Amino acid sequence: MGVLSEELKQRIADEFPKYPEKRAVLLTALHFIQAEHDGWIPPGASKEVAELLEIHQIDVEEVISFYSLFHDEPVGKFHIQVCANLSCCLAGARPLIRAFEEKLDIRSGEVTEDGVFSIAEVECLGSCGTAPMLQVNNEPFLENLKPDDVPGILDKLRSRLGEGKR
Amino acid sequence: MSDETAASAPSTMNGRFKKPVKVVIDGREITAEAGHPLLQVALDNGIEIPHYCYHPKLSIDGSCRMCQVKIEKAPKLAIACNTPVTDGMVVDTTCDEVAFARKGVMELLLINHPLDCPICDQAGECYLQDYSFGYGSQESRTSSPRRKGLKRHPIGERVIFDQERCILCRRCVRFTKEISKTDELRVFGIGDKSRIGTTSERPLNNDYSINTADICPVGALLSRDFHHKRRVWFLQEHESVCPSCSNGCNVKLGIYNNEIQRMVPRRNDEVNDTWMCDHGRLNYHFAQDETRVRTPLIRDDAHAAPASGNGAGADVKYATTLDAALEAAAEKLRGAVSVHGGGAIGVLGSPHLTNEDLFRLVQLVNALGTPNFDMIVPVGPADDFLIKPEKAANAAGARALGVKPGDGGKDAQAILEGAKSGELRVLLIVGSADAARVLGETGIKDAVAKLDALIVVDANRSPLTDAATIVLPGLVWAEKDGSFTNHAGRVQRVRQAMEPHADLQPEGALFARLAALFARGSAPAAYDAAATLREIAAGVPAFASIGFDTLGSAGLALQEPGAAGAAEAAAPAQA
Ligand code: SF4
Ligand code: SF4
Ligand code: FES
Ligand code: FES
Repeated sequence: MGVLSEELKQRIADEFPKYPEKRAVLLTALHFIQAEHDGWIPPGASKEVAELLEIHQIDVEEVISFYSLFHDEPVGKFHIQVCANLSCCLAGARPLIRAFEEKLDIRSGEVTEDGVFSIAEVECLGSCGTAPMLQVNNEPFLENLKPDDVPGILDKLRSRLGEGKR
Repeated sequence: MSDETAASAPSTMNGRFKKPVKVVIDGREITAEAGHPLLQVALDNGIEIPHYCYHPKLSIDGSCRMCQVKIEKAPKLAIACNTPVTDGMVVDTTCDEVAFARKGVMELLLINHPLDCPICDQAGECYLQDYSFGYGSQESRTSSPRRKGLKRHPIGERVIFDQERCILCRRCVRFTKEISKTDELRVFGIGDKSRIGTTSERPLNNDYSINTADICPVGALLSRDFHHKRRVWFLQEHESVCPSCSNGCNVKLGIYNNEIQRMVPRRNDEVNDTWMCDHGRLNYHFAQDETRVRTPLIRDDAHAAPASGNGAGADVKYATTLDAALEAAAEKLRGAVSVHGGGAIGVLGSPHLTNEDLFRLVQLVNALGTPNFDMIVPVGPADDFLIKPEKAANAAGARALGVKPGDGGKDAQAILEGAKSGELRVLLIVGSADAARVLGETGIKDAVAKLDALIVVDANRSPLTDAATIVLPGLVWAEKDGSFTNHAGRVQRVRQAMEPHADLQPEGALFARLAALFARGSAPAAYDAAATLREIAAGVPAFASIGFDTLGSAGLALQEPGAAGAAEAAAPAQA
């Protein structure tokens, strides 16, 4: 019995005709899997995707590890990705991250006990002109931030907790 | 993808038919083949351009940026490894701009480096050390804490990984994609978090895994066998050939205190490129472990317990001198021949001996007048890369020199049967492990009970040396000069890298002396491998034109029978 449902596998296979080779579907497939599995890629999934795409399992794991938007461990419902690359650091990413850590009482890389928030430091998201910046899940960027903005950001996110499925 | 990247590998193969171009490097005009990597052209002409990720037997990665040079009319510095030479190219590797770029690369590489050279096996042969000294800056401009990573991580059974030392040149990754084709390694993560790794199910355990430690330019991948064993600057390096299969991979032996500390591959594009298998690399301990036979032995029947029947009780052996043991062996052989004729003697040669040893053995067998002469060649698994089925270095040489049954003579199987049945009176076994395996415990007992004498020549103990009437200690390949002939008929030089124990002698010397003693002739001239090979060249047509002076470090192909003068000179091996 596999990790991926038959229906999910079919959806991945349906993407094949759009590309010259099966391996090109990898990123799409990983997005599909994360969407189905609470925002992360469960153990065993990489093996099954590799079989489906006829590539090595290690190729799948390499790609998952490369992109900060794929997770091989559970993340919070709101995954706060703070850019920690050069421009953002120069413009104050560190104090920003520290503010999140203090407010949420977790370290970057961790998930709050209730599973609502997680913090990650990510590489440049291409918004250096508005540094420091962050992205929650796949949502639009929050830009030109200061540590003082942190309580407001968290309150706004909490207020959305009722919506949608957990 | 990995199949195609191998085709883009540089070096000699794919440039052979291209037309020559002229380039100028640092004011020197150099003729090169169009399309060759500029870096390789420079190196081939003795111009050093520092580099990490480039390796002549791997595809080009262009990731380390250490090889940047200034090319006239180019808008900015270019990496020499990924720049094919073109006609009229003018290159400067020494200008300030290049020096500044190298310094910058070094600074970035060292920002997170642990600087643990004092406990690093690579120290002394580390590109990072050398280039830091040659091109780096003596000071660090940062004081932020260094990134922590895996230390002494068992990335495979035979390889250790130190993440903190890794400079992410990806040579190891390309090796597992392109050479071993096992694909265990990848770069995981991004940016600051990039690291070399495997999946948990597939550690780095392929048959060639330790080559990654050789090509890792720093001390990030290390051979476990050599880990913390000896500082490399204490090693004396000797060119040799791996003795463990008929491929004959070219190697360097690292010797300290008259013991082999490690065996590493030596480049020979005709044989093993720059690689060797893990089994061969690790199979040297027999040269110096407790299985070595270092004393000549004679079983003294007068002291044997008489009641135990088939000779099993008569295993009291007395250490003796080499002279006495040789004399005793000659006497046994003479006795058997004079009473029963030469056919009462069986001789098993060894595909582990050098051509020179075997030539003397063939002469001995001719003197004994027995057609019962053969050898046992151990076989095992092979692959389509280096590992060959015959697990001995010189089976082809033995065949070429005539280690085979004479007219109406017994083959190896029949010789062992004849020993057990009593048909043979004296059995001379050279290199006994394989014969012992074939005979088995009871076979050995039967043979010893029936034979007048079992004479064993071996460098290592086996059940047969334990049971023998006379034991003549042999030498391992690393203790002698000589040559091996590999599966393809390539004759390659082995060199004495270790001093033999006390007054032990190479097998060739033992056989020559035994032949003289047997014939009650005068003592032969002192055994000399070079002179013996000259004799071989004069007497065996396939070996014509082969000698220590012509073999060089890369070896020569045996002459095809009939193709006189066709011995093809090999391309010189490069470091
Ligand atoms: S482990 Fe060695 S060979 Fe592999 S990427 Fe790191 S430095 Fe290069
Ligand atoms: S392939 Fe054969 S000759 Fe080469 S290293 Fe392995 S055992 Fe030795
Ligand atoms: S450095 Fe943060 S967005 Fe580019
Ligand atoms: S050797 Fe040229 S970039 Fe590494």
